Amino acid sequence: MNVSRVLIANRGEIAVRIIRACQALGIETVLAVSDADRDSLAARLAGRTICIGPASATDSYLNYKAVVTAAVATQSDALHPGYGFLAESPELAQACADNGVIFVGPKPDQIRQMGNKIQARILARQYGLPTLPGSEKVTSYKEAVEIGKRIGLPLMMKAAAGGGGRGMKVVTDINDMQQMFTSASGEARAAFGDDTLYLERFISNARHIEVQVLGDSFGNVIHLGERDCSLQRRHQKLVEEAPAPNISEKLREEIRQAAVTLARNYGYENAGTVEFIVDQDAGTFFFLEMNTRIQVEHPVTEMITGIDLVQEQFRIARGEALRFAQSEVIFRGHAIECRINAELPQQGFRPSPGLITEWLPPQGPNIRLDTHCYKGYTVPMFYDSMVAKLIVYGTDRGEAVQRMLRALEQFSVEGIDTTIAFQHFAVSHPDFMTGRVNTHLVENLIPQMLAAMNSRQSA
Amino acid sequence: MSNTFDLLSKTEVHQITSLVKTLDESTFDYLQIELSGMKLTIGKGNAPMNGMAAVSVAAPISATAAPIMAPREVISAPVAIAPPPTAKQASAAKDDGTIAVVATTMGRFYSKPEPSAAPFVTVGAKVDADSTVGLIEVMKLFNAVGAGIRGIVTEICVEDAQFVEYGQVLLRIQPSEAGSGTAKKK
Repeated sequence: MNVSRVLIANRGEIAVRIIRACQALGIETVLAVSDADRDSLAARLAGRTICIGPASATDSYLNYKAVVTAAVATQSDALHPGYGFLAESPELAQACADNGVIFVGPKPDQIRQMGNKIQARILARQYGLPTLPGSEKVTSYKEAVEIGKRIGLPLMMKAAAGGGGRGMKVVTDINDMQQMFTSASGEARAAFGDDTLYLERFISNARHIEVQVLGDSFGNVIHLGERDCSLQRRHQKLVEEAPAPNISEKLREEIRQAAVTLARNYGYENAGTVEFIVDQDAGTFFFLEMNTRIQVEHPVTEMITGIDLVQEQFRIARGEALRFAQSEVIFRGHAIECRINAELPQQGFRPSPGLITEWLPPQGPNIRLDTHCYKGYTVPMFYDSMVAKLIVYGTDRGEAVQRMLRALEQFSVEGIDTTIAFQHFAVSHPDFMTGRVNTHLVENLIPQMLAAMNSRQSA
Repeated sequence: MSNTFDLLSKTEVHQITSLVKTLDESTFDYLQIELSGMKLTIGKGNAPMNGMAAVSVAAPISATAAPIMAPREVISAPVAIAPPPTAKQASAAKDDGTIAVVATTMGRFYSKPEPSAAPFVTVGAKVDADSTVGLIEVMKLFNAVGAGIRGIVTEICVEDAQFVEYGQVLLRIQPSEAGSGTAKKK
């Protein structure tokens, strides 16, 4: 299968990232843009652009028919969906297959099955992966109460079609079950058009660790190590690093092998991520879900392996076998990524779109910035608030942390509010510095940071 | 003065109402729109400073408009950063009093209801606001394109079965009587 022209069905930094991978591989690029993104950086870098709809994502980036039509009309051999938007839409993958366009990602059925979190749990259990004690589909709050009594509190209520933290609730009191059930199913229905819920035991001292896998069409599967993404706010990742700090080599290896076991038995094709939750008190881990796309935080894996994941996605999509065996993947050093968002932390992380009047990013050895922003760019109000991913590499974690702190200090942005100062506060916090991270660290940090900022202002 | 709103069609009033609602729910203080012959500023607080309209306002309007009705040049309404100077944009900006009918969706444009039939419109044809001037097909789904205004077709800018992008100018109409969408009351 030849891929000489690809349609990129995304925007922002990942569109830029995919265009660069295509340039390296000598593949022509066509960028599908909304009316609001006609003059974006990605639009300037792409071979050509095609406007697929108005600014509203529902009528442009989320319209799989428009996206596939654009691919066919521009004679693109392949389509790369990036992350978010239609990246995990089985409809898009299927429509590509039906129209003779190679979808750069897994098979439609794999996207569909892993997209249903209840089904994914069942699959993982079949292949012997540990899953959290919990339920299958829960249809009423009364049933939820019964299950709650059986597996014990606290527990986590989740949407089967879930993602991004929507429809997720922690239940600590059985009397709250009814109210939580109603609001979680309402949220799930609004976000995914599917209000199916399930329950899992909630782990309070938890870390989020995920494993990057690559599978080809010949059944070869390897892992590219794990990433720790414990620093989250409302289930949105803020800081990611690779490898995971402060875990035993035995646990690290078990987690990596579990991911490979799932992907290999499942015949998974292309890049994917198997997410786990690690119970720090018990030293155990459980399968959470599998993401069937390239992820935002993929650069930290690239930094410690030297492998360009997006390029590998294209090689797999055009039918090549993996270019390296597991033993040929060499892990070296430590990488950290901070997501820089156009948000104002002091006001509940309120989005801050608008014109960027100054943009002076940090530079230097082992600093990487994945972004679509520049001085004079207007961050539109229609999309995600992420404006850049700042990634640093160090020979060890200590060096990487120090480099990240200096890089954040040297990152100057005017015109929009950003989370740069908050990221600096988080990375310089003793708990992060020493690798004592868990999924609650950020929520605990926010009041501390606000207090520190206020005292600095009044001083 | 008392009849200011008579200048606006029902759809336009509806669009403005939705804009006010959208603004109210947003974190923005104001928004400013300039359309042919009309400038509109809606705000919650202080009046904006000149040249500060930082956000494209094209979307809320086109999103609230009826799908078939192409709201004049709304799609190329001014945004903070000038759109790239493509041929399409240049022709949309023609200043001869004609109104551009633009593609409300991306897809294949058909000028005829079926291959053997006569075209919906030809140059010189008289159209009403609700006249169909063409079809746009996206994956076997055909969307009718309405003229959006009463007048005479002066130019057809695309070929039959040509692939068109969102916002692309399809044809131009010279409005009849009092011009740009002004709905005369009896």
